[in-house]
Amino acid sequence: MSGATVTYVPMTTQRATMTVVIIAVVLLGIAALGNAGIIFALLVALMLTGMPISIALGLTVLTFLFTMTNVPIESVGLKLFTGIEKFEIMAVPFFILAGNFLTHGGVARRMIDFATSVVGHLHGGLALAGIVACAMFALVCGSSVATVVAIGSIVLPEMVRNGYPMRFGAGVITVAGSLGILMLPSIPKVIYAVATNTSIGALFVAGLFPGILLTFMLCTVTWWIARKNDYPRMQRRTWRERWIAFRRSVWGLMLVVIIIGGIYSGIFTATEAAAMAAIYSFFVSVFVYKDLKMRDVPKVLLNSANMSAMLLYIITNAVLFSFILTNENIPNTLAHWFLGENLGWVGFLLIANLMLLVAGNFMEPSSCILIMAPILYPAAVSLGINPVHLGILIDANMEVGLCHPPVGLNLYVASGISKLGITELTKAVMPWLLTMLVFLAIVTYWPELSLWLPRAMKML
Amino acid sequence: MLKVLDRLEEFLIAFLIAGATLLIFVAVGHRYALDLSAKFHFDAIYDALFKINLAWAQELCIYMFVWMAKFGAAYGVRTGIHVGVDVLVNKLPPRWRLVSILFGLLAGAFFTGVVGTMGAKFVFDMAHTDQTSPDLEAPMWIVYLAIPLGSYLMCFRFLQVAWGFWRTGELPHHDAAHVEGVEEAGGIAPATAPVGAMR
Repeated sequence: MSGATVTYVPMTTQRATMTVVIIAVVLLGIAALGNAGIIFALLVALMLTGMPISIALGLTVLTFLFTMTNVPIESVGLKLFTGIEKFEIMAVPFFILAGNFLTHGGVARRMIDFATSVVGHLHGGLALAGIVACAMFALVCGSSVATVVAIGSIVLPEMVRNGYPMRFGAGVITVAGSLGILMLPSIPKVIYAVATNTSIGALFVAGLFPGILLTFMLCTVTWWIARKNDYPRMQRRTWRERWIAFRRSVWGLMLVVIIIGGIYSGIFTATEAAAMAAIYSFFVSVFVYKDLKMRDVPKVLLNSANMSAMLLYIITNAVLFSFILTNENIPNTLAHWFLGENLGWVGFLLIANLMLLVAGNFMEPSSCILIMAPILYPAAVSLGINPVHLGILIDANMEVGLCHPPVGLNLYVASGISKLGITELTKAVMPWLLTMLVFLAIVTYWPELSLWLPRAMKML
Repeated sequence: MLKVLDRLEEFLIAFLIAGATLLIFVAVGHRYALDLSAKFHFDAIYDALFKINLAWAQELCIYMFVWMAKFGAAYGVRTGIHVGVDVLVNKLPPRWRLVSILFGLLAGAFFTGVVGTMGAKFVFDMAHTDQTSPDLEAPMWIVYLAIPLGSYLMCFRFLQVAWGFWRTGELPHHDAAHVEGVEEAGGIAPATAPVGAMR
């Protein structure tokens, strides 16, 4: 991912040759493990050429179909073409559309104002406000990239103007933006629910407490760093000002009631809730806040369609890929292996986390979940791990991947807003990324954190 | 001619996403109103609403999104939104990088071309059956026509981008970090983000 600000120093031909040779040897080693090895080695090799992930997935499947198996092409034919023909998956474009309206329609700005009025007077106030605003935005938005864009593009310039170093601000927002896929609605959760037949509603609410915990942990670290470096504080606001700021932001927050209330009371399904969210946020942006002009709506539509189509295209190909895996019986083999090793759930979750962290580093969340969830799910269920807990755990792993190169989307978006290079930004996110790893450990080994709320709401 | 195709593509996908959203909104509203009128015994309203059958809405929504996904994916090639892992590629010596990127683009064209051809064959076979969709009762081959059309268009876009890259060395950039109407901080250039894309 080049771009004006990201400058790479090319390797010398010798080093490049060495690198390529080493990679080739490793991949050949993996390929020697049999069919499963060949599939993965081919996928990694194709991905390393820099082609789109969706194409790499698709080409791997095609190669496999034509050379290594006698599964008739026709039987996969239908899957090759559709793969996305499920109404549940349609929540993805709806959530993206809603997120875009919220981003462009002034909802984020009012949430930031409110958050600033509450926590702005503390050490590192604006940064804390950024985190809290990310958390609020995450309550109604299902995508972490949208969260980084919505909050970051307003908070970062403001922070720089107030004398914060750009590194600090960009680091905070990159990581806090990943709350977007943890709190309530989230696109990766929809994908997980479809891949494993888990209740979408339960997954949505299960993320709330972990999300609050993560918000709190990120705030603590930020506050501590800010105090040490004596970063500027804002003026303390009166309760009256806070109330006014809250009143202004309430239109956006109402969306929580619509999404969760609607799903919980059974008025609509998750997909319908997402469509409602899109309509509602359009209404708020254009007619209530009036931050979005009617003539800009087609642009938002086009952008959302572009983003959704990209994700749906990846999903189609990832579905195919996981079909091939199932066809080769890889999930079951792995499940048996996990059970045979007598790892217990503690050991299993450790391995699951490591696998997810590695995979999450190379793929964006949707494809990663579509491939990994069917592999982990059978073993997890037979070890007595709740599917909802597994879902939240996978979600938390994806968050880490989003904030880390080489494919961390949050990182790239934040780098676009802040104009910091990827390498520098990678260093800048470190304190919060480490916090996130601690958080990951907590989520992994404290199932009740995720499971209590859906159970209390009788959704489990 | 190409400009017309570009605009048509953009119009189609924007229309499909907006249409699908409105459709689901109306369908949910209709169902909710039906429930309410039944609950409070507004029989006249109930009867009027009951005559409108919106059972096909969900199915149509899915088809609209399948079409949007296929044509949007082609549009995405043009805007450079399809993400790849290009950390290694961008560190390679310039000549190697050029070859690698061209290989990636042509592989994209190859894959979409193959899928398009398989899709065309599939649709052709289906056109000789009288399969229809369950609720809309639309002929299935028309529904699946999105696959060959979308894939061939995508193939064309890949070739177009590859040709452009060969001649100018430039790739389309997707800019996800830019928000309309948000001011940029002093000294920060307008956001043109290196997100995504085959770069």
